[in-house]
Amino acid sequence: MNNFAVLAKKEFVQMVREFKVIWLPLVFIFLGITQPVVSYYLPSILEALGGGQGITIDPSMAAQKGGEVLASTLGSQFDQLGVMIIIVSMMGVVQSDKANGMLAFILTRPVTVGSYISGKIISNYLFVACSVALGYLVSYLYVVFLFTNVNFADLILALLFYLLWILFIVSFTTMISTIFNSQGIIALISIVFLLGCRIIVGLSPVIDNVNPASMSKHAMEVLVLGTVNSQAIWGALAALALTAVTILVTNIWISKKKFNNE
Amino acid sequence: MELHYGWNELKDIDFMSILPIILPVIAIGMILVLIALIDLYRNRKTRKNVLLWTLIIIFANTIGPILYFVIGRKDSERI
Repeated sequence: MNNFAVLAKKEFVQMVREFKVIWLPLVFIFLGITQPVVSYYLPSILEALGGGQGITIDPSMAAQKGGEVLASTLGSQFDQLGVMIIIVSMMGVVQSDKANGMLAFILTRPVTVGSYISGKIISNYLFVACSVALGYLVSYLYVVFLFTNVNFADLILALLFYLLWILFIVSFTTMISTIFNSQGIIALISIVFLLGCRIIVGLSPVIDNVNPASMSKHAMEVLVLGTVNSQAIWGALAALALTAVTILVTNIWISKKKFNNE
Repeated sequence: MELHYGWNELKDIDFMSILPIILPVIAIGMILVLIALIDLYRNRKTRKNVLLWTLIIIFANTIGPILYFVIGRKDSERI
């Protein structure tokens, strides 16, 4: 596993050079803060800027539970802007190596394609997962401060569920980045496919069982209801299986086309 | 119904109670903008469209610095 360690270390050095190590956690902290603060001040914002004097605001709207606000952080901030930012920051992960000839150079060395891909995916995934977890924990602190307390076991369980979905996002973007050559097309296909996955969650239970995006819904359910859906295990297995499929496709694609003249 | 948003309405809002909650949001946005601007200033000789990127970073709030880090820095490597 020495090759793997070297390649993973190279990824981290590249992240530090691109300042990714600073801005990606900051963006997720920003997204995590926004949702609790906005939903806390929503009644007073409506009152101040709504323009209509004498408008009545339902006081029960302000009495949201902490879990609901945290679930809406996952559902409406991380699942839309967060997913797009992950994709945009990862769209060049293999493509830039292809473009400047680094991939062909690495493969002339005694490095297996497997250790190259696993180095890429694991190092990027660890980093993205850390920034998502950081943003989520900051959001949790705000929720506890502004709303009610959230059960800590539910918090960790929901985070674990959500990280499975993040794992699929990372490996899928890596696969698309291997197959296509233009950054715009990579970003477009990944964003359309992954947000499409997220949108069709909840349409039918059969699709949910094989849809990795259903992990995000299960995470929200854990936060809101405090119980784990019995279907969650199938969603988790499907997410892991689809991740394995994407890694396999990436592996086959790189080893079939030798990328000598790319 | 009258629509007026004068300065006198700002006095109605209690700023001191909002400030500790809003401040981190503003601070993180400012840090992103600052890092992007410092990086742009350091590499102003090799970057294309420096003025355009400055405007994007400052005015497109939070999404501007991200776009600069992802797209703006990549362009310069090709030169």
